[in-house]
Amino acid sequence: MKRTMGVAALACAGLLVATACSSGSDSGGSSSGPVTVTVMTWESAETNVAIKKALADFKDDNVKVQLLDTPSGQYGDKLASLTQAKKLPDLFWCGNDTEQQYTSQGLLVDWADKIKNGDGDFKSDNFVPSAMENWKTADGQMGGLPSLMNTYGVWYNADAFTAAGLTLPKAGWTWDEMYADAAKLANKNGVKYGLVADNLTSGDGPFTMSMYSVSAGGAPFTDNVNHPTKAEADDKYQEGVTKLVAAIKNGSVAPPGYDAANVQSLFAAGKVPMTFGGQWLAAGFQTDKPKIKYGFAPFPQVQTPTTLYDSVGICTPQYTKDQDATFKVLQYINTKVWDAVLPASPVAPPAYTPAQTSYFDALTKAQQPTVADTVKADLSAEKTVGVRFTTQWAQQVGDLTTANYQPILSGKKPVSDLPAYIDKINGLIKQGG
Amino acid sequence: MTSSPERIVGTSPVKQRRSGRGGMSRNAGSDVKAAYLFIAPAIIGFLVFVGYPLVRSFYLALTKYNGLTDPVFIGLGNFRRLFTTDPAFWPALKATAYLVVLYVPLSLVLGLALAMFLNQRFAGVRVVRTLAYLPVVLPAVATITLWKFILDPQVGLLNTILDRLGLPTSLWLQSPNTSMPSVVLVMLWGVGGTMIIFLAALQSVPTELYEAARVDGAGSWAVFFRITLPMISPIVLLQVILQTTAALQTFNQPKILTNGGPGFSTNVLMLSIYGNGFPTLGRIPQLGYASAQVWVLFIIIIAVIALTAKFSSLWTYSDNTSD
Repeated sequence: MKRTMGVAALACAGLLVATACSSGSDSGGSSSGPVTVTVMTWESAETNVAIKKALADFKDDNVKVQLLDTPSGQYGDKLASLTQAKKLPDLFWCGNDTEQQYTSQGLLVDWADKIKNGDGDFKSDNFVPSAMENWKTADGQMGGLPSLMNTYGVWYNADAFTAAGLTLPKAGWTWDEMYADAAKLANKNGVKYGLVADNLTSGDGPFTMSMYSVSAGGAPFTDNVNHPTKAEADDKYQEGVTKLVAAIKNGSVAPPGYDAANVQSLFAAGKVPMTFGGQWLAAGFQTDKPKIKYGFAPFPQVQTPTTLYDSVGICTPQYTKDQDATFKVLQYINTKVWDAVLPASPVAPPAYTPAQTSYFDALTKAQQPTVADTVKADLSAEKTVGVRFTTQWAQQVGDLTTANYQPILSGKKPVSDLPAYIDKINGLIKQGG
Repeated sequence: MTSSPERIVGTSPVKQRRSGRGGMSRNAGSDVKAAYLFIAPAIIGFLVFVGYPLVRSFYLALTKYNGLTDPVFIGLGNFRRLFTTDPAFWPALKATAYLVVLYVPLSLVLGLALAMFLNQRFAGVRVVRTLAYLPVVLPAVATITLWKFILDPQVGLLNTILDRLGLPTSLWLQSPNTSMPSVVLVMLWGVGGTMIIFLAALQSVPTELYEAARVDGAGSWAVFFRITLPMISPIVLLQVILQTTAALQTFNQPKILTNGGPGFSTNVLMLSIYGNGFPTLGRIPQLGYASAQVWVLFIIIIAVIALTAKFSSLWTYSDNTSD
């Protein structure tokens, strides 16, 4: 009996030791074995399979890479929970706004020095400059690195344009032409609105409208989406809003409140002839193959080509076990993984420019020349405007926009109410939320 | 769950008081322990899942807390922001009130009407009762999503049918004027839950009362207003409280159908709380502020129930005659 008790006690002790060794080291690894670097994405199951396959080719005796099998849905909630529990993986997909906010709270590893003085080609010079600039915090930190660029433009149904006798949208077309086309395409053949532009009418609308004012030589809605000092709506901006209000009023543009959740399907079904959207829709169209002939044009302009700036990236929590190992995997993802993933699913051009070739090759192979041209034009655009504030009080701006800006677009409030809305945002900027 | 003293000690109360220090036998003590053990899961559950969150949420309501860093005490700052500067708070209260005013009376009237219809004897009544209750047991998210497609103004089933019939169509969920009535329409899809309770109440009304009324020559309306309604009025009160509480906490329908829009037209308080506590990717949670909203909703619910209960004696029937 005594012997049995002794064996049981030893077994328990062994279990305790084993548990102690493994607890809290999801990303760690023992001192003698390789370090495990965990990765979490928001990609679809299919894309994750491709990423996993590409990560399997990562060779380093001291580093093991593990892609976490997590469903892509509710990524924001998942991220918030993991952040609060201090269980974030070593590398996780993040937006520019998350990177800015988390870095300002001291939650992320600062890669600024490493990417500035790195070895070989993996240096900041080889990234899209606007992305690198926007991923820096006010004090020059970089809590992550941009990985993929989001470019935006106008998806159009070429068949509908041809049937209506309209010229297809192309680089250099104007806002007035876009509204005129929308008016001619509206209320025909099962189509209700000529243009669905969620970017213009949703909570991000005021920022998108900056494209009009900046293109016309005016001021943007805000001087900086990351570290704003002011918001403004100058004459050119108000002119742009006035034109949009008129287009909504005459029924050619979908009003605020239009549910854009299914716009991609409606576009593919020929029920929406023009829609604002990102380049990532191309990957979906490549799979679904809409029956309509479609194209992707840069945003219209007044004088100068102006587009929206946005990028997503990969962040690392402060408590990552081995920063060097994590950076090696981060470098591998940015330089090699996209080459393996993008040919099958060309969702976005990499921010690391040498890796962009595979993206454009895939678009060419898929016979999407207008997408390739528009993405290239966007990436080289001289003037860009941010898509939304990345500050901690951005949500409050969203509420102010719903309460003040959207009623202006709907015609429930006059355009002359814009200054009052701007004053409220400046109040928020002043008090920092 | 309490036992009488006689049952515990097997003797009279006088003798019981004289015996022992605590006035109870050793058996009584073990019974009390057993009683506490039996109710311990409920007490622990209440303390862990209700008591602690209640106290904690009140503390958080007085702080600036984003879930990423430690809470910072700001006193009544969150409540000041709620009532003075937040452009979304008053519209959220207005939307919640509008939903309650639309939904509660309609669900009661429809539920009662359906129950009265199904309280009759006709062939296939059981099948119809099952069909009427079926939406309650179907997965809510699936049915609400289905309704979203039905109410789509451009390609939805409802507008397609109306159009074919030459009737006017509507923007339904996509217009600030019709969005809340559309949400209520979808909520009324689950009126079978109200119906089933009314049906039970109707079946408990003594049939002699109806027979006596008929003998006295009462018509259908008189029977309904003078016998049925007074007799089921306690159940009506219960339903008013249940439906009002449920309506004040509505979340699923506006979240799935409209996400609070267009504008703030369907941004009910629960949705606003969720939006601040669990914002979209890239936004920082405002858990302290959301907790303050939770307390406002909590106080509103308590006040509404208290008022309903206080004035219920004016319109509910109670049999005060002694047996």
